[in-house]
Amino acid sequence: MSGPGFENLKALIVEDNAHMRSLLRALLNSIGIKDIAEASHGQMAIELLRERKSDLVLTDLAMKPMDGLEFTRYVRNNDQSPNPFVPIIMISGHTERYRVEAARDAGVTEFLAKPITAQNLFARIAEIVERPRAFVRCDGYFGPDRRRQQRDDYSGPWRRKDDFEIKEAR
Amino acid sequence: MRKSGKPKVQLIAPDSYPQMLSKPRAARALHTLRAPETAAKAQMAMEEAMPAMRAAILQYVEEMERAAGDMTRLFDAAHEIRGFAETAGMVTTGRIAEVLCRYMDDMTRFGRPLDATIVALHVAAIARAARAEDDNVRTGQAVAAELAALVAKRLSEAE
Repeated sequence: MSGPGFENLKALIVEDNAHMRSLLRALLNSIGIKDIAEASHGQMAIELLRERKSDLVLTDLAMKPMDGLEFTRYVRNNDQSPNPFVPIIMISGHTERYRVEAARDAGVTEFLAKPITAQNLFARIAEIVERPRAFVRCDGYFGPDRRRQQRDDYSGPWRRKDDFEIKEAR
Repeated sequence: MRKSGKPKVQLIAPDSYPQMLSKPRAARALHTLRAPETAAKAQMAMEEAMPAMRAAILQYVEEMERAAGDMTRLFDAAHEIRGFAETAGMVTTGRIAEVLCRYMDDMTRFGRPLDATIVALHVAAIARAARAEDDNVRTGQAVAAELAALVAKRLSEAE
């Protein structure tokens, strides 16, 4: 088995800090991703997505005028979105629980807390490659399945069609 | 249990939408991600980026000092420092900035006024840590721990 495997991928980095963009670009280069576009906020990223296909998006959370949450919601939900299924890794120093939950509810695929390490970034990319998640469409949400595990002790409401099958099988 | 009609929740399996990589490519990509030579290349990339990042952190420190009473400007600079100081190897600087951001963020969320002394103490500590030749000195870590304890106390009072 020989690499790299990523050579034809197109990535998009959405980050307002030029140093972070440069670092992320270098890290993606090190796994063989060479075709990388950069945007400094969500609105610019949307324009780039329309102009050019992207297979992977890395986005910051806090940016102006459009932040990473609004950008993610656009990608997942807007009729004009070129690829609602594109994997989105949100990278942020804002790691408070309510912000991570907001990112999840916007439809991000993975959340990576700053400070960035190559190991952590690669682990998130490996997760996307190795265990792609089902997508869920329901009232008020479209995006990757927010339940990562089937928990035996799950005590929340049973709402999905396949939940009933699982429940009845027990 | 739902008796009739369309399910309100639609699950779209990974095989039913376009994946980032085909299966053969995915196997090669995983190999690449886990290869020691990839880790070495990435480490080199990080090291090459560090001098510019450290210089940028010092600029943000100056920005924070110049911000004086402008808390929005000060928070923005502290947030940038929190974002990549640790990546640039300035661990103590990053941790103190993290505490300051958490304090400012939570107090604002609770609708409570910021204590200017607490903010000024953090700004001074961040500046000292960032300018120290050895960022990881024991003194800096002790200051970071004391400031974190102070902020935790004030936040618990504010809740």
